[in-house]
Amino acid sequence: MAPTAQLTQAQRPAVRRRERWWRIAAPYVFISPFYILFLAFGLLPIVFSLVVSLYDWRGTTPGGFVGMQNYQVLLRDPTFYKSLLNTTYVWIGSVPPMILLALVFAAILNSRFVRFRNLFRTVYFLPVVTSLVITGLVFGQLFSMSFGLVNSALEALGLPAFNWLNDPTWMKIILVLALLWRWTGNDMVIMLAGLQSIPNDLYEAARVDGATDVQSFWHITIPLMRPVILFDAIISTIGTFNLFAEPYVLFGQGGAMNQAAVVTGTFLYQNSFRYFKFGYASAIAWVLAAIILALSMLQLKLGSREAA
Amino acid sequence: MATTSMTPSSMRSGLSQAARLRARVTRLVLYIVLILAAIAFLLPFYWMVLSSVRPKAEYYALPMPLFPRTLSLENYQQLFARSLFGRGLLNSAFLAIVSVILQVAFCSLAGYTFAKLRFRGREALFVGILTTMMIPSGVGLIPNFIIMARIHWIDTYWPLIVPGIANAFGIFWMRQYCLSLSDDLLDAARIDGAGEFGIYWQVVLPIITPALASLAIFVFLSTWNDFLAPLVFLRSQELFTVQLWLSVVAQQGEVKTPAVVMAGSVLASIPIVILFATLQRYFIAGLTAGSVK
Repeated sequence: MAPTAQLTQAQRPAVRRRERWWRIAAPYVFISPFYILFLAFGLLPIVFSLVVSLYDWRGTTPGGFVGMQNYQVLLRDPTFYKSLLNTTYVWIGSVPPMILLALVFAAILNSRFVRFRNLFRTVYFLPVVTSLVITGLVFGQLFSMSFGLVNSALEALGLPAFNWLNDPTWMKIILVLALLWRWTGNDMVIMLAGLQSIPNDLYEAARVDGATDVQSFWHITIPLMRPVILFDAIISTIGTFNLFAEPYVLFGQGGAMNQAAVVTGTFLYQNSFRYFKFGYASAIAWVLAAIILALSMLQLKLGSREAA
Repeated sequence: MATTSMTPSSMRSGLSQAARLRARVTRLVLYIVLILAAIAFLLPFYWMVLSSVRPKAEYYALPMPLFPRTLSLENYQQLFARSLFGRGLLNSAFLAIVSVILQVAFCSLAGYTFAKLRFRGREALFVGILTTMMIPSGVGLIPNFIIMARIHWIDTYWPLIVPGIANAFGIFWMRQYCLSLSDDLLDAARIDGAGEFGIYWQVVLPIITPALASLAIFVFLSTWNDFLAPLVFLRSQELFTVQLWLSVVAQQGEVKTPAVVMAGSVLASIPIVILFATLQRYFIAGLTAGSVK
């Protein structure tokens, strides 16, 4: 095949020259859209954002230069601390339990003597394809004062109804429940892929040595799954600090009365697109990015130290 | 090996009856846990559908009964009669389909290039793309809004379509899949005189359809479910996506009945659930890409 092809190319020198040029240029042309778009809508905005955070920028028109003032104001803003605290509560309530649940369900669904594994996996994964807006709306509906499933159940048991969505503690619990419902299946599928890469021989050897299934889970599954768990923990932490659609739908853009359920994502949105304090909001965005980066590094460090 | 390793523990030889009983109890407990979890995951869907088919009259008997006495489609009729909900569904479908076509085309071309073409600076350029994935998305939103305002793209679909056309995740995903393509096949096409774009278009694209399908589903899902970008960039209700309609319009008086909002949620979920049910394996493949190994 090769000799005939060489012959054909030799017959067409002009075409060949043009082709050779194109063969060098083509790869750059094929990958160029990414770089053009990234420059315009990725890199430029990031640099621009740093500049904006140093100005008293309101709406789309620049105000005066204020230096670090936006950052100083942020560090004294009680709502900022409230949002950090609420986000921390939500993180504690959702991320560790979700990882544990996802791992346990993945382990159960990975064992071959459980039947209907695909059916269970599909059911657990179904919330993951549901939109965040609908997740918020449905959980609002479940806990609604008059139309909610929870109050209907209480009524059926002869108990009084409760206004769940008006209670600062319950608001956070409902948000946590919504997150667990929406994301556990997602983590579970990632864990399942990780479990499938653990060789069966290990479990078989442990069984021969008399280990129980629970012992195998703690001493084989967990250590070998550490990288996947770490990946999941970091992604979920970033997700918690960017949380926005669910609280927006559940509690409104004000984070409910007195900002009772304000989280960092809501706080950033309020200052950007409700008050249009673009300078201040850019400072918030940078501080949040720094916090997320620090937490990710911390998790990476803890995760690798435990492994060693 | 595979057959022995996963044999039910109760089948192992030399087990006492007590051990066999214990294995059976363990399995029963596992199934109970699995079924309870399944109920917990399905309950919100049950309540969503149920709330959407309740006749208005039942709303006066508060709190709502756990099981409906009669079913009605009046909430669905109201949804289309009194608002731009139908328009929202069409808008979302339009945006999702356009995004799918553009992203799949541009990301597969770039992904294939990084996997199979040899050129100077390839590794550095690819690492550069991966690095951009670590940039926190929240930081870019405000400056992007200012830029979009300057080029008069606010209240158009451009900000929702253009920035994502060639994105890092899509390129990474397509590259990983294209790495497994045979070089001999591509060289054969090259020797036969096919141009670089021709090879991508006629040889590569037909082979990588599973990866294209995964990416297409992923893009469709994220565009259909997107909320923040439409919320920030769209103003006119005629342009609203279905998620925006559900979260904004539905909260503003016109159709404030929760039952109507639930009917809208059911309709907005149906395309996604159908897509998921029919193409589940592509979903899962896209999700686990890059997370393991």
